[in-house]
Amino acid sequence: MCLDDQILNTYLDGELAEPWKSQVEEHLSYCPSCRARYQKLVQLRDAVRDAALTDEEIAPRQERVLSMIEKNHLSKKSSQSFWRRHFRVSAPQVIGVAAAFVVVFIGSWAVFGGNKDNTIPLPELNTTIDLKNITPVRSTDNASTSKSLESYSLDEILKNLDARGYDVDIRLKSIQPLALDRLDSEVKDVARIPEEGITISSDGMARDDSGAIVATGVSLDASNQVVASDGTVLFSAEQVSLIE
Amino acid sequence: MEIKSGDELAFRRVYQEVFPTLMRVAYHVTYNKDVAEDICQDAFIRFYDKDMVFPTMEDAKFWLIRVTKNLAINHVKRKMRETASLEKVMKNPQINPFKDGQTEFILQESSAAVRKAVGDLPEIYRTVIVLREYAGLNYGEIAKVLKISESNVKVRMHRARKELGAMLDREEVNVP
Ligand SMILES: [Zn+2]
Repeated sequence: MCLDDQILNTYLDGELAEPWKSQVEEHLSYCPSCRARYQKLVQLRDAVRDAALTDEEIAPRQERVLSMIEKNHLSKKSSQSFWRRHFRVSAPQVIGVAAAFVVVFIGSWAVFGGNKDNTIPLPELNTTIDLKNITPVRSTDNASTSKSLESYSLDEILKNLDARGYDVDIRLKSIQPLALDRLDSEVKDVARIPEEGITISSDGMARDDSGAIVATGVSLDASNQVVASDGTVLFSAEQVSLIE
Repeated sequence: MEIKSGDELAFRRVYQEVFPTLMRVAYHVTYNKDVAEDICQDAFIRFYDKDMVFPTMEDAKFWLIRVTKNLAINHVKRKMRETASLEKVMKNPQINPFKDGQTEFILQESSAAVRKAVGDLPEIYRTVIVLREYAGLNYGEIAKVLKISESNVKVRMHRARKELGAMLDREEVNVP
């Protein structure tokens, strides 16, 4: 029996497994009509490959796009994102730069929840803050605000809130070192938000793919939405994939 | 080696290695170099801004190929809708993307015919041909990028080449 075109194509692409591969080769060695059809497929494949966009056509565009990205992205991005800068510092480092280390409360993304007993108290700010003048700020927008929030530096957020006439509650908070929650052997990942590269674990931590915590106190509700401790929906069920 | 997409050095390495492949994927789906360039730019910016971690260079490459393929397909679909409504109004003949005044490189007659034929393939056949011949992926990798089964890739590849062969045969007859 002669070889059908699909088998020949699979063979041509080097995707045919044994013993069929040897059988095809054997058949091609004695059947001129199949050999002719195979040759035609080879020619077609080569013609398609020869029509590929050439290196010469690509090179100037490769340079142009890179210089655009260099100009607008590589240089602009601060070395670490807003969240990253806050969560990746180790405890001794934090104490060293305590005065510069502040938390801004903005809606549900207020962070550093968790067990008080495990936390390390930090020195207070030197600056005198008159508590009467301070009002906590809540995000008035929906959860999608938090997405863009990450791309701003703390400075930018403060300036922006200030420009809009908000009083910002800036205060030092106790730090729970990352290493401590890692020791909790019962903690496991429960859900992922593939779009954002965020993993939610059973201790209520949301981490990005580098392991940095982006939020705490989050949980899955009955309809598989990711919600903050105050019930705000952070991610809809369609965005969430569960980890069994 | 692990790739952090938001890390500048890693980004540059991936860019250097993967850009030509992405440009070929975007071009051979859209057949418009400027559009393909914009799509590649878009894909790499997403890659950089999303700060993702990939176990290997290959994984980063597959992510980029998938995003680029999707952006390119979306462009083609949008373009087709626009052209369709335009034709209704103006009875415009279909614009030939291969005679768009790009004279910087003189393309062989046969390559121009092949590019036109690939561009005329239905989307499901065009993508397997582009990923196989212009991105160099094997069936397993194509299946992963397109999220279809390998046997489905096999069938589509066979049908894609069959259609291509038929179109190019017709072309040869028509060329004096
Ligand atoms: Zn035969």
